[in-house]
Amino acid sequence: MKNLKFLTTLLILSTFLFTACDKDDDGMDNDQELITTVQLTFTDGAGATLVFNVKDLDGDGGNPPVADEIKLKASTAYTLSVKFLDESDASHTHDITEEVQEESGEHLVCFTANGAMTAPAATDTDGNGKPLGLTNTLTTGNAGSGSLIVSLKHEPDKSAAAPCSTGETDAEVTFPVVIE
Amino acid sequence: MKYQILFIAWITGLFSGIEIYAQNCHATLYGTVTDAETKDPVPYAEVFLPQTGQGKITDEKGRFVFTELCEGKYTVTCQHIGCSHQSKNINLVGEMSLNFQLTHETFDLGEVVIMEKAIAPKAAQAERSLENAALDAAKGQTLGDMLKKLPGVTTLNTGGTISKPVIRGMHSNRVLMLNNGVRQEGQQWGADHAPEIDPYIAGKVSVVYGANSVRYGADAIGGVVVVEPDPLRTKKGTGGEVQLAGFSNGRSGAFSGLLNFNTGGKIPLAGRVQGTLRRGGNLRAPDYYLENTGVSEANYAATLGLQRERWQSEVFFSQFFTRNSIFKGSHIGNLTDLQNAIDRGRPLDDGSFSYELGRPQQRVAHYLLKVKNQLKTGSAGKLTLQYARQFNRREEFDAHKRFNEVPSNFDNPEMMFEITTHTIDAAWEHKSWRHFTGSIGAQLVGQVNTTDRGGLIPDFNSRTAGIFWIERWRKYPLPLEFEAGVRYDARWLDVGNRGRDVIDMQLNFNNFSGTLGAIYKVNDEFDIRLHAGSAWRAPGVNELFSDGVHHGSASYEKGRSDLKAEQAVTTSLTFDFDNERNFSASLSLYRNFIRDFIYLQPQQQPVLTIRGAFPSFAYEQTDARLTGLDWNANWKPIPQLTLTSSASLLRARNQADGEWINLMPADRFRQGVRWEFGKDRKRKQWQESYAGVSAVHVFEQTRAPENQDFAPPPPAFTLFDFEAGTSLQFGNNKANIGLAVQNIFNTAYRDYLNRLRYYSDEMGRNVSVRLKMTF
Repeated sequence: MKNLKFLTTLLILSTFLFTACDKDDDGMDNDQELITTVQLTFTDGAGATLVFNVKDLDGDGGNPPVADEIKLKASTAYTLSVKFLDESDASHTHDITEEVQEESGEHLVCFTANGAMTAPAATDTDGNGKPLGLTNTLTTGNAGSGSLIVSLKHEPDKSAAAPCSTGETDAEVTFPVVIE
Repeated sequence: MKYQILFIAWITGLFSGIEIYAQNCHATLYGTVTDAETKDPVPYAEVFLPQTGQGKITDEKGRFVFTELCEGKYTVTCQHIGCSHQSKNINLVGEMSLNFQLTHETFDLGEVVIMEKAIAPKAAQAERSLENAALDAAKGQTLGDMLKKLPGVTTLNTGGTISKPVIRGMHSNRVLMLNNGVRQEGQQWGADHAPEIDPYIAGKVSVVYGANSVRYGADAIGGVVVVEPDPLRTKKGTGGEVQLAGFSNGRSGAFSGLLNFNTGGKIPLAGRVQGTLRRGGNLRAPDYYLENTGVSEANYAATLGLQRERWQSEVFFSQFFTRNSIFKGSHIGNLTDLQNAIDRGRPLDDGSFSYELGRPQQRVAHYLLKVKNQLKTGSAGKLTLQYARQFNRREEFDAHKRFNEVPSNFDNPEMMFEITTHTIDAAWEHKSWRHFTGSIGAQLVGQVNTTDRGGLIPDFNSRTAGIFWIERWRKYPLPLEFEAGVRYDARWLDVGNRGRDVIDMQLNFNNFSGTLGAIYKVNDEFDIRLHAGSAWRAPGVNELFSDGVHHGSASYEKGRSDLKAEQAVTTSLTFDFDNERNFSASLSLYRNFIRDFIYLQPQQQPVLTIRGAFPSFAYEQTDARLTGLDWNANWKPIPQLTLTSSASLLRARNQADGEWINLMPADRFRQGVRWEFGKDRKRKQWQESYAGVSAVHVFEQTRAPENQDFAPPPPAFTLFDFEAGTSLQFGNNKANIGLAVQNIFNTAYRDYLNRLRYYSDEMGRNVSVRLKMTF
């Protein structure tokens, strides 16, 4: 019986010793940087600007992204600048474009144009003289409809034959396009 | 064989000190007499019970049996022609087995061994183990890869270094790991979460096929992996071993050492310390390096035990810490990236060798503390009380911080889960009573999970309570044995937040499990085992609540909080033949039904995000039926030559729509030849030498649902392995040396059950050497 007592005591003791761990979590840190908005600004020769967005303010899941329809004039030259924003916090918009610009060597903005849309061509370069794609030019053709896919690649292989099929996609959105 | 001497011995203290309360005259004493050195049975030895005047002569296999004895004190003598006899007293209770191991050294009478042990009953369900030489030969690999040699076991891999065992198509939450008697509780729900167990700790690794919830608790629908260390040293003194293994692929090495001691004396304190270090660099597929696939692991364990006549006590502590780098080429952003990788057919970058452990990376720490006490309760049985605490921290590091510079340190994981589990087990095992042996017990499990980073799964608290009773009936020497058991478990799950989402939900699950089995011994060489088990599994938190993009698999997974528990009935029929000379074979047929089987169902509409499209999967339930067979045979046409053959076949159907179930292992066959160079050569230093070649053929998995995967299952492949070993005896020390080559022909192949199969081939040729020194 003495042994049993000893063992029981040991067991109970050990339970106490190692139970004190029900921790309430206060260090919650889920803040990962998020792109909620891809913003395209088209400027024509006269300096008039047109702004179109794709927004997914609630992040992955929930409501799908909402895309503006791009409306451009036929046979017109535009400069196109691309911005990536985090608008998940309504009180504070975070401009991620600056960070893309800072690490320009590791990023590439790619475009795929369909239908009546013309593919933009990058005019800016990264630190190594390779294309970046935050600013571009394009000249529209005849009236019609189409679409424009804009994607942001991270760590692409810019020396590859098709750099846009390498790297990891940070953003990829599709705009419907109408050329009038 | 001539025995010149008398053989006797004494019985280890297991049953001494037992008091007799009632006269029961149905007791049985049986056992075998074997030669301690050659392990051959000793026929025509005389075993006497002077009190009753009964005597038996051992048969050709060295066996004897006394039945219908009254319980009480007896003197048992064992002698052989031409020998004087000695005697020893035993207390006979119920059914006892007494195995005499006789040494026959002409001049030295000092070393005589008799081993008395509780009858290790054969399980009614299929069970296979890796131990001794076979286990040694597998050391240095991951636990999953070690078990792969057993029929019916495959692995689910994430690259070359993360693998988890798949038993007859079941894995993760459906397979229970029993590490040194404790239910392993980590983040086992994840397909890329390998078991947090140091394989070097094992003296024996067993796989129990099919539901075995009664003994081990709910969840064990698919089977159980049991990792057992060797028993502690019982003889006074110290001993130990050192194991080294080196692998050419990944230029990796493992070092493991252990030290055993026993202080002897009045209070014999026994203990063991053990430690393992493992380090490896980038693996190489036949045509390229797999960038960032290194591994680093450091584990240690310590045990202290005390054994007295009536009780024994053991404290065990272990720490496991691993860092696994994940193949860089598998890090992708969305479905387009995945499609690009599949179309490319090989990684973008051919890579180079490096030991650097970069990102992506997982770091996992697991601590286990166990206190186990056993107490003999008179003549009736044995009470076991066990408490265990486990703590598991899992950290995952992304390839980069988006738009920020990659941190040079590993201080801020993108995902972190911490889970603490307390387990209390109490079981009372009773000795044979009217031919029944069995145990009754209870289990309490408390668990707290906090997801500190990356809200993939929510924080939760869970409590599980269970009670069980299992009995086995055996009347020696009747050829039939029965086993039956029942268990009831209840589980409470209290779910808090997932990231910023408040879930706040309480869920209850409870159910019965049962087991029913029969063993029929057709004759000494052949037995048939029939088993049916029922088990249930409460849905895991990932199945209930995950909601987000799963990177690496580029899929959007959505849980369902109204999932019901899975209910499984597994049945198996196993034929075992072993003539103990030159042929053994085992065939196990099984059919398992799982009601409300939880699986990921592809959804019609992809989920659109700002990162592009992700195929969407939702956790659904259906009724599943898994049918298959495992086959295994060994044949020695001549003593030196062994031919082996094994096969595993599996068919898994979704019964609702008749469709196949995805991610099930493809059929496979393994054949091998092995040459043993003889044991009794004059030069005694070189012993147990062998060399062998084996080939495994894995078929293409044609039984997968169509158009649900990003790429079709990879084609069939055949791999050849070589293995050789010898052992060297010098003085009291022994060294085992082994050489192995895996994938001899450097075949490029992909495995259907590797989650990174979209991105790269499997590892190429791997030459390994291993050394084990015992002192």
